[in-house]
Amino acid sequence: MEEFQLTAIFLFVLFVLLGSGVWVGLALLGVAFVGMELFTTRPAGDAMITTIWSTSSSWTLTALPLFIWMGEILYRTRLSEDMFRGLAPWMAKLPGGLLHSNIVGCTLFAAVSGSSAATLTTVGKMSIPELRKRGYPENMVIGTLAGAATLGLMIPPSLTLIVYGVSINESITKLFMAGIIPGLVLASMFMLYIAAWSFIKKDEVPPPEPKMTFVEKIKESRFLIPVILLVMLVIGSMYFGLATATEAAAFGVVGALALAAGQGSLSLDTFIKSLMGATRTSAMIAFILAGAAFLSLSMGFTGLPRTLAAWIDSLQLTPTVLILALMVFYIVLGCFLDGISSVVLTMAIVEPMIRQAGIDVIWFGIFIVVVVEMAQITPPIGFNLFVLQGLTNHEMNYIAKAAIPMFLIMVVMVFVLIAFPGLATWLPENIRQVRH
Amino acid sequence: MVAKNMLRRALDRMYAIGGALGALSLIAILVIIVMQMVARWIGTTFPGATNYAGYCMAAASFFSFAYALNNGAHIRVTLFLTKMGKYRVIGELWCFGIASVLSVWFAFYAIKAIRISYKFNDISQGQDALPLWIPQIVMGIGTVMLAIAFIDNFFRIILHGTHGIKAELLEDGGEA
Repeated sequence: MEEFQLTAIFLFVLFVLLGSGVWVGLALLGVAFVGMELFTTRPAGDAMITTIWSTSSSWTLTALPLFIWMGEILYRTRLSEDMFRGLAPWMAKLPGGLLHSNIVGCTLFAAVSGSSAATLTTVGKMSIPELRKRGYPENMVIGTLAGAATLGLMIPPSLTLIVYGVSINESITKLFMAGIIPGLVLASMFMLYIAAWSFIKKDEVPPPEPKMTFVEKIKESRFLIPVILLVMLVIGSMYFGLATATEAAAFGVVGALALAAGQGSLSLDTFIKSLMGATRTSAMIAFILAGAAFLSLSMGFTGLPRTLAAWIDSLQLTPTVLILALMVFYIVLGCFLDGISSVVLTMAIVEPMIRQAGIDVIWFGIFIVVVVEMAQITPPIGFNLFVLQGLTNHEMNYIAKAAIPMFLIMVVMVFVLIAFPGLATWLPENIRQVRH
Repeated sequence: MVAKNMLRRALDRMYAIGGALGALSLIAILVIIVMQMVARWIGTTFPGATNYAGYCMAAASFFSFAYALNNGAHIRVTLFLTKMGKYRVIGELWCFGIASVLSVWFAFYAIKAIRISYKFNDISQGQDALPLWIPQIVMGIGTVMLAIAFIDNFFRIILHGTHGIKAELLEDGGEA
């Protein structure tokens, strides 16, 4: 019974520190300290530093700042202006028209950036005014954008997947590969929804765009082609085993710099802005990871993960029921925490649970990303909602309502993933390993 | 008053230098990785490259912790703080107070770790075979700067009623 009380204190401290607004990284550090003091006689401070140093200076983590930097560079180029012009001619003929450029634009930018907020801003800045001008209904414009931007977390490079991979010591390349097919499936589902909408509400669809010849289309999208080549270089180099995730990220940074220079949008000012932006974001995530590393050490001493895993095991749940329970858990958690924090905070407990249940950890990475993505478009804390609020000046409730269909599509996606796990596991099983 | 302004400027300069060192470390990661790839293509090796890149990673993080804090990059749950309305300052004092204590504790053990590594002459297990206290210095400097930044902001709330952290955004919105 004493064990139970200690655990209760431990969890209480966790809620108080996180809930009262202490910075996530430090809150985790503080909780971990309390855990060490309650459950073990080992000196907490020395154990903390050893763990934090080895996490912070790990080679795997170096992919993180580089991928952030790559996204930051492209974010500051003319990419966002060119994106709409380049995509629109190709989307015009699809049922639902230019709304598809929201989805395809997000998918494309997701492939160069690991964050959904950046994806949303880049695509939204340009597509919202253009779509409004053409008379597309506001709720569709905003809803599809809010949903599609979450692809930023799923399609490689994905910061959430890097963080997940570092937390559970799995190959980041494999996780990246695992995200590709589900990401494309989810994007197709969003596009199907737009098409269905255009058939059901024919009167809401604006008149079609003027026709363009093939040559004109190519000419309009000439700026997009280098970006697509860069995406293929980064992902291809990982797939064919030519480069590790970190090396692919380095390709990405060099390529993005070259692309920006070629466009004439690389000045000293944008270079420094992109670099400092990357430094800040990377420090933010590294801080959370440092706290989380110590917390997961401390969690081990509390015995909480083992107890919970054994308890779950004794319930004889089928893996599907466990997955659904975890889905609800993460959606609730996502109402209060951002995606990366939810992942690092829970992995110490959830990892033994899923390994015990025989769930593939690579597959689970993709699952957790979809679920965490859902939380990005649900109030009260959905970062995509905040960003959209800044972009459109709509009420939070209006945006959240417009995003509901996308949320439901993502729920369907979870079931698709459960029914066809191969979507996530097939590609990573077939990549070539890097030879050194 | 003059002394106070000088202190303010010195502190702000220190955070900015930390951020700049962090950014340089980020560039260093890129350079090391490119060198390693080039070495592989021309059929030689760059021994210890992964270790050096790892040290630069630590440097990029630790040096810029305080800088990131002052620019509102570190995230936290503000739901409750926002709900406190005009009493928010009490909540902020609690946050910065707790953070000051925790970050001083963090810095204390970071420095202790460097001293231990130095005293027992700990050598890296990797191919770089570097004495560990050398790269660990960045952890010492970074954690001390972070502790100073928290204490600095704590006193700013007491003296001026508000902390010096810029708008708390997840992502800097660029020009948007």
